[in-house]
Amino acid sequence: MSDKEKKKAPIRYSPLDGLFKGRQGVLLGLFALFALFLAIFPLLPFASGFWLNTLTLILLLAAMAIGWNFIGGYTGYAAFGNVAFFGIGAYGTGLSMIRLGLGFFPSLMIGAVAAMVFAILIGLPILRLKGHYFAIATVAIATAMGEIADSWTSFTGGAAGITLPFFSPIEWSGQFFYYMAFLLAMGGLLLTWFILNRKMGYSWVAIREDEDAANMMGINTTWAKVMAFALSALMAGLAGGIYAYWKTFVLAEEVFKIEYTLQMILAAVLGGTGTIFGPFIGAFIYYILITLLVFFLPVGQLHATILGVIIILVMVFTPKGLMDFLSGKKKLSVNALLENIRTYRV
Amino acid sequence: MESLQFTQGIVNAILLSGTLTLVAIGFSIVWGILNIINLAHGAFLMVGAYITYWLFTLYGVDPFLSLPISMAIMFLVGYAVQRYLINLVIRAPLLVTFLLTFAMEIVIINLATFFWKGDLRSVTPDYAGLGFTLGNVQIPYVRLAAFIISLILTGLLHVFMTYTKTGNAIRATGMDIDAARLQGVRIPQTYALTYALGTALAAGAGTLISISFPIDPTMGGAYTLRAFVICVLGGLGSIPGVMLGALLFSFIEVFSGIWFPSLKDAIALLVLVLVLIVRPSGIAGKAFYH
Repeated sequence: MSDKEKKKAPIRYSPLDGLFKGRQGVLLGLFALFALFLAIFPLLPFASGFWLNTLTLILLLAAMAIGWNFIGGYTGYAAFGNVAFFGIGAYGTGLSMIRLGLGFFPSLMIGAVAAMVFAILIGLPILRLKGHYFAIATVAIATAMGEIADSWTSFTGGAAGITLPFFSPIEWSGQFFYYMAFLLAMGGLLLTWFILNRKMGYSWVAIREDEDAANMMGINTTWAKVMAFALSALMAGLAGGIYAYWKTFVLAEEVFKIEYTLQMILAAVLGGTGTIFGPFIGAFIYYILITLLVFFLPVGQLHATILGVIIILVMVFTPKGLMDFLSGKKKLSVNALLENIRTYRV
Repeated sequence: MESLQFTQGIVNAILLSGTLTLVAIGFSIVWGILNIINLAHGAFLMVGAYITYWLFTLYGVDPFLSLPISMAIMFLVGYAVQRYLINLVIRAPLLVTFLLTFAMEIVIINLATFFWKGDLRSVTPDYAGLGFTLGNVQIPYVRLAAFIISLILTGLLHVFMTYTKTGNAIRATGMDIDAARLQGVRIPQTYALTYALGTALAAGAGTLISISFPIDPTMGGAYTLRAFVICVLGGLGSIPGVMLGALLFSFIEVFSGIWFPSLKDAIALLVLVLVLIVRPSGIAGKAFYH
């Protein structure tokens, strides 16, 4: 790099610097408008049950993707078992409501804390693992948790599942869960922004770039990694609890489905891992893609194939996500799409 | 009665270890040489099993004779997949190849379910139920044959990797890709060949499994996970290590199946996590293919 270029490069102290200037500022404004739209959406005349339902699903997915981004995006650990936290959140909430007779909010807290504690307990040993080993260990734990929940009939209800009471008043149920999901996703964005401005956020990125160097610089890497894992568990656990009460039914096969992990990773990757808004936008892009494809290829049973093909295309052409294109860092062109292949092929 | 169950368990575990060696060895080569976790491994195994099933059901081909056919077909498929898909992003960060092979698995399983339906099927040649008893222990012919064939294929792989120029090229690529390239090894083709060997071995294992057990499109996932556990147990990158890992894993699986039937998979997975935590390099240590 020449001296001239060095002088030109702006020194960025925080993720907020430069955010209000130029194209980024416009994007932030657009996002604020979109958030406002989402906030008043249920009050709009055309907000039917279908749209409310779909948006609730998207926002829950966005919340989980934001959570996954902490460990997978910023810290760079390919966690493949985050559905375990979703499941624990769902069971924790459901069981507290049924067995302890608590209200929804205390139960949700219990479910979320249970997911976090579990993340800390398994995170301490398995976050020592690197790369593939960590990824598979998380898959293994998620699968084992599903199996345990399925066979521990006396506690979890086993294959019969547990049935939760309906939300009352029932006519506001759609709006209630929509706002829960909306608040969770927005809270996740705020949390991301908050942490990125703190030492913790810098620690995560430092670990992703070079863990040994981060250690040498005096960062408590174990603490930072476990925190990233626990916070991603918190997001997934809260999403799980909300989902459980929304569907009023918890079943191991349903809440420990590995597809959920895949969806949250895909949402994060589509938008752009390691960015604040990437996972949120990615969740919307993911749903739009899936819905369009299912609409134009009306073969319901091939849903999973479509999902798989999307993942393959994303991995081959834009594994860094669409954030670079949206924020104007890169222009969308054939060349830009082929750049990834040029870099990584043999 | 207890001791009979115990000896039968030991024999079952040993017979199982042969097939599992074959399952894990292809996975292990791909992991060791290409440094990717091939999550589609089990899906290729499943396709191999279905090739045997269809050849048997439609044309009456003996399942053991269909072994070379299913291996050859999946060899070509694997070669094409690596050469024209995975090679495009092979040097990308781990998450990319991980998700890529995961997506391949989803696509293959979903298409198989769509075209062949999800029901359990079995390959039932006339000799399927036959066997002999040794003392009190029952040994089915097909499982013994599967065990022996697995060992032969493993031996052939060892000979190929050690004594042929191509095998040496594969090992060299795994050791040092730049040095291998300087020696004139064509890396893309070698990668494709390695992956093709992996899928062919998976298909072979699928064929052998289809003779002893019922098959369905989702059977593969469990075998991918088993292959991973075995590679971790045995240590990555050596054929004896994989055999040892498979033997150990078979014992864990058979006996946890006898003692805690409903938690069979959970126990295998917890063993995996424990081994990863206590000794991440595996029991046999980290050597390379030799």
